Amino acid sequence: MLRASGSLNDGTETFDNHDMPKHVITIVLCIGLLGGLIVLATGSADWRLPDNQQGYAPVQPIAYSHRLHAGELQIDCRFCHSGAEFGKHAGIPSSDVCLKCHRVVTSSYDVLQAEAQLADTEKRKPNLIISPELQQLYDYCGLGSDLKPDREQTPQPIPWVRVHNLPDYACFDHRAHVTVGITCQKCHGPVESMERLRQEEPLSMGWCVNCHRDANTAGIDEKPVNASLDCAACHY
Amino acid sequence: MSASLTYWRSLSERDGEPAPALDPTASRPADFSRRRFLEATGFTLSALAAAGCRPAREELALPSVTGVAGQIPGRNRICAATCAACPAACGLLVTTRDGRPLKLEGMPEHPLSRGGLCAVGQAQPLGLYDSLRLTGPLQRGQPISWRDADQKILDVLQQLREAGGAVRVLTGSTCSPSLRRMIGRFLGTFSDGRHVVFDSLGCSAILGAHEQTHGVRMLPRYRFENARAIVSLGTDFLGTWLSPVEFARGWRQGRIPTTDRPEMSYHVQLEGRMSLTGTKADRRLRVLPDEYALILGHLAADLANRAGLPGPSAPLPALPVAADEITALADRLWDARGASLVLSDSDDVQVQVLVNDVNHLLDNYGATLDTARPDQRWQSDDDSLSRLLAELRNGKVAALFVAGTDPLHNLPQSADLAEALGNVGLVVSLARWLDATTTAAQFICPEHHPLEDWTDAEPISGLVSYSQPMLAPLGQTRSILESLAAWSGQPATAYDIVRDTCRQQVFSRQSQIADFTAFWDQAVQTGFVEVEPVTGGPPAFNPEAVQWPTTAPATDGPRLAVHANVGMPDSRHAHNAWLHELPDPITKGTWDNYACISPALALAQGLADGDIATVTAGDVRIELPVCIQPGQHDRLVSVALGYGVPGTERFAHIGPDWFEARSGVGENGLVGVNAAPLLTWSDGRLSSTRSDVQLAKTGRHRPLATTQEHHSLTLPANTAPHGAPVRDIVQETTLAAFAQNPHGGTPHAHHVAGGELWPADHPPGDEKWGMVIDLNACTGCSACVVACQVENNIPVVGRDEVVRQREMHWLRIDRYYAGDGDDVRVAHQPMLCQHCDNAPCETVCPVLATVHSADGLNQQAYNRCVGTRYCANNCPYKVRRFNWFDYPHDDALENLALNPDVTVRMRGIMEKCSLCVQRIQEGRHEARRLGIPLADGAIQIACQQSCPAQAISFGNLRDATSAVAAARTSERSFRVLEELGVEPAVAYLRIVRNAEATDTHAEAAHV
Repeated sequence: MLRASGSLNDGTETFDNHDMPKHVITIVLCIGLLGGLIVLATGSADWRLPDNQQGYAPVQPIAYSHRLHAGELQIDCRFCHSGAEFGKHAGIPSSDVCLKCHRVVTSSYDVLQAEAQLADTEKRKPNLIISPELQQLYDYCGLGSDLKPDREQTPQPIPWVRVHNLPDYACFDHRAHVTVGITCQKCHGPVESMERLRQEEPLSMGWCVNCHRDANTAGIDEKPVNASLDCAACHY
Repeated sequence: MSASLTYWRSLSERDGEPAPALDPTASRPADFSRRRFLEATGFTLSALAAAGCRPAREELALPSVTGVAGQIPGRNRICAATCAACPAACGLLVTTRDGRPLKLEGMPEHPLSRGGLCAVGQAQPLGLYDSLRLTGPLQRGQPISWRDADQKILDVLQQLREAGGAVRVLTGSTCSPSLRRMIGRFLGTFSDGRHVVFDSLGCSAILGAHEQTHGVRMLPRYRFENARAIVSLGTDFLGTWLSPVEFARGWRQGRIPTTDRPEMSYHVQLEGRMSLTGTKADRRLRVLPDEYALILGHLAADLANRAGLPGPSAPLPALPVAADEITALADRLWDARGASLVLSDSDDVQVQVLVNDVNHLLDNYGATLDTARPDQRWQSDDDSLSRLLAELRNGKVAALFVAGTDPLHNLPQSADLAEALGNVGLVVSLARWLDATTTAAQFICPEHHPLEDWTDAEPISGLVSYSQPMLAPLGQTRSILESLAAWSGQPATAYDIVRDTCRQQVFSRQSQIADFTAFWDQAVQTGFVEVEPVTGGPPAFNPEAVQWPTTAPATDGPRLAVHANVGMPDSRHAHNAWLHELPDPITKGTWDNYACISPALALAQGLADGDIATVTAGDVRIELPVCIQPGQHDRLVSVALGYGVPGTERFAHIGPDWFEARSGVGENGLVGVNAAPLLTWSDGRLSSTRSDVQLAKTGRHRPLATTQEHHSLTLPANTAPHGAPVRDIVQETTLAAFAQNPHGGTPHAHHVAGGELWPADHPPGDEKWGMVIDLNACTGCSACVVACQVENNIPVVGRDEVVRQREMHWLRIDRYYAGDGDDVRVAHQPMLCQHCDNAPCETVCPVLATVHSADGLNQQAYNRCVGTRYCANNCPYKVRRFNWFDYPHDDALENLALNPDVTVRMRGIMEKCSLCVQRIQEGRHEARRLGIPLADGAIQIACQQSCPAQAISFGNLRDATSAVAAARTSERSFRVLEELGVEPAVAYLRIVRNAEATDTHAEAAHV
């Protein structure tokens, strides 16, 4: 087919009329192209330019809700992500941090409340009700049905899927940003409203640099700052 | 105008021969038309764009199940520890990140090492993460459980306890009170138990000499900081001898003249081979090891005469060196009575007795030789060892336990010994890697890596240091203390053993802290405690012990000396690729040992660098490449021990895998050749020198992987611009010239007329990082090179790539020779990115991958670099390194040694010293978090931190009160290639030798 079209453009060789008519070729080509595009578009809906993951919101092993914890319950971000003040990484809390509350809170307030009332009317001790999501947490922590460590089970780390992921050649230090008073939402978006965590901002170099430039002119909280624009501020 | 000495880096450079051309078989690009180029470019760009698109990478973030109190992800924890790389037991600070030890640094508070740490100590983390390290006990090569191994060993031992039988424990020198206690307890359960200590190059003779002269088998502690005159016969005390870090620090103290006090200690080195210490001496005399006795005899006679004491009864044989040299030495030493030091590395007890006599005549005992707190680190005893070998050969040994040493590799006549070991009922090796001895052992019970273990050490009497585990053991290994406890029938944990030893032997020797738990906690936290010494001063000197030399050594025929290399002190480190790739400070050789000979001997034998020669000594024949070493004695062949170790086959393909890759090992399949067969037993002592040696050419050749001519700063004569001045890359002056004029040696400024190339459009900030390196303090020991390699994830490229001039070290130490004859002087110059203000590399980068930062750093953005290599070509200092390959990072365990703060670079990009910008950022962020100003010294970069001689200062040049700013204004300060006008941020301090001004120097002093 390539040779045939080449001959057309060339104009020096005769076109063989016994071959397929021109419009048939065009139609076949268009169908092929369209089909190819559909295959590409459906198969690669989540394909992006290298290292641009804006909007990335992977399914997590446990359907943890930031909206509930950070929004509704107003738990400070640094209760769980305690490293943000002290080091490079904000850190994902170890499972025992979850258990600080969830050793007691085993299901949603409504369910627990209903069971408590029912038990009250039936004059018995309330049953332990564990929500399916928290059951997963207890499984990872190797706890038995009585929420005591089960010798049969080995505790496993929860395989959270990382959402905010900088390339290896960029070094980011949470401590420096938290210290000058940048809010978490500035980079992570309205996490307190997200049921499933999503990467709100592009986290691209241009986005970082623009913020650094703005901070140098406007300051942070009206305090002047020195946000470096040097390459080696992040790349080393 | 030529102002000072002319330096050269190799003999061919001195003689004006062209540098050897690169491999002529290197591929040339084929004819490449413009059309083909555009086609290829278009295809590449579109393919890259397509290949770059991908779905978001799913990456897991696995938090721990249970958090550790105080451990914050990504923050370093620093613990005190004790280095176990050699018996010197320097103080360590171990940096641990998220549970894995990454970097070992010197502990500034430690009374011996005082912040320094040598290259070997710093390379230890690689061994921890070595996937070939033994992971559990083996019986005849088959894995076995600890319970079964213990049971089988205990069965044999029980029979020996009942029936009697000789049980021997063979170890290297150890100053661990716990280990000695456990060995004692273990051997105490047998009727015939004995502990034998063997070091490849120990100091049995010094111990033996003190037994004769002072009645105590003792090693005094050498106090170089108190010495105003140092005469060293062969001792490489700055490089390999006994405790080089401690000695370098002490030596440095007397070596820095200032304007207020233009004084220096006077250091004379008499030696046959060119040692690191010899390169730093004020006066170096080439003598053979068998001439030491006569030289010391004459020196002792001269000093006895001055002291009014009787000298030798009969006249001594004639001196091998000029008599006035000895008189001059005696003058210097006599002037510095009580503050001088004479030492020798001879393994001849009579030589060491003469050394003691000279030190006694000079009143050095109690001053520069501390006998109240003697050195306890070295205990090797040739008598004891030779008795053990005799017992083994006679089949008298029933059980042998070997730990921390490899006798089959490191002893001569090892074939006999291997046969003898085959007849021993039970041989147990505690080696961490398979070695020559493990092949003869029924059981291999590997001990922990020191970073996984509880240990203690008492290097000098009254100083006890501790080490705690930095991580849980990576394999199923076991502490040697626990093994011995189990085999004694009283199992205990290493923690309990070390703690009990502390309670029994250390706690009672102090009175400040009454509660043991508080004392123990403090000892472990600070890493060391100082308590009362056990031993008192030795009894008086016994002059009867001195035997004057009566015969003169033969004046013809070559001699052989085996020695230790700075980077590879013994075979225990043979699995460490960082140390193999570290260029030797003098020869600049990597990945090999070789026979060093002088240029004159090479000429006489028709040998060139890399020619393989046969070294025949007695009935031993080994083949080695030749390395021509200026400054070597014309009748001395010297070979390094510690090479040819079984297991180094692993380095055959360590470099990148490509079609032209060549093997990284020698003809024997190993890295280097074992020189231990050249050791010889003479008069019941293990001698490292011998005279029955012959050198013969084989006609074969293998290029040495030496870096001495790589990255040359000197301009070849044919490419120098017309009338260009000779560039003084290293500057050197004499103490006399310095006292006359501290600026002496400053050459005339060669500044480019017309001012700066760029307008000063960037206002100076508050910070400008800079560095000053004191070349007078720098010993060239190369600790900084390994420090930089560990800190900055610098890959190992392998022998073949080093031959192709592709080594990746960001920091190299240029070694220059000066002098016309074969009696040369040596200068060491650490060379790294100079962070020029007007950096030539920055102007030529087409993609702005290398630009200047506001705080004076020459930045390299790896992700922006496209690898044109223009910058490297334009760098006058030749400090940029190109990644020709993706260097292997497929060993997941070994990758744990990588520093997570530094990018692992990919193929095709340029890299170079960043002045440890990750440490600068860390210091800056931490100061900001704490709300305090960034203090001078709060940021210490890797090369600076562990320098044993404290030659490197780093800091903010704009802070007038900083140490680096003070050093920058020193009279000795100069910058390399300053005449180019590139304004480097790294300055050097001129070398000062304690000598009278010569004509050249007088000229140099003229400003």
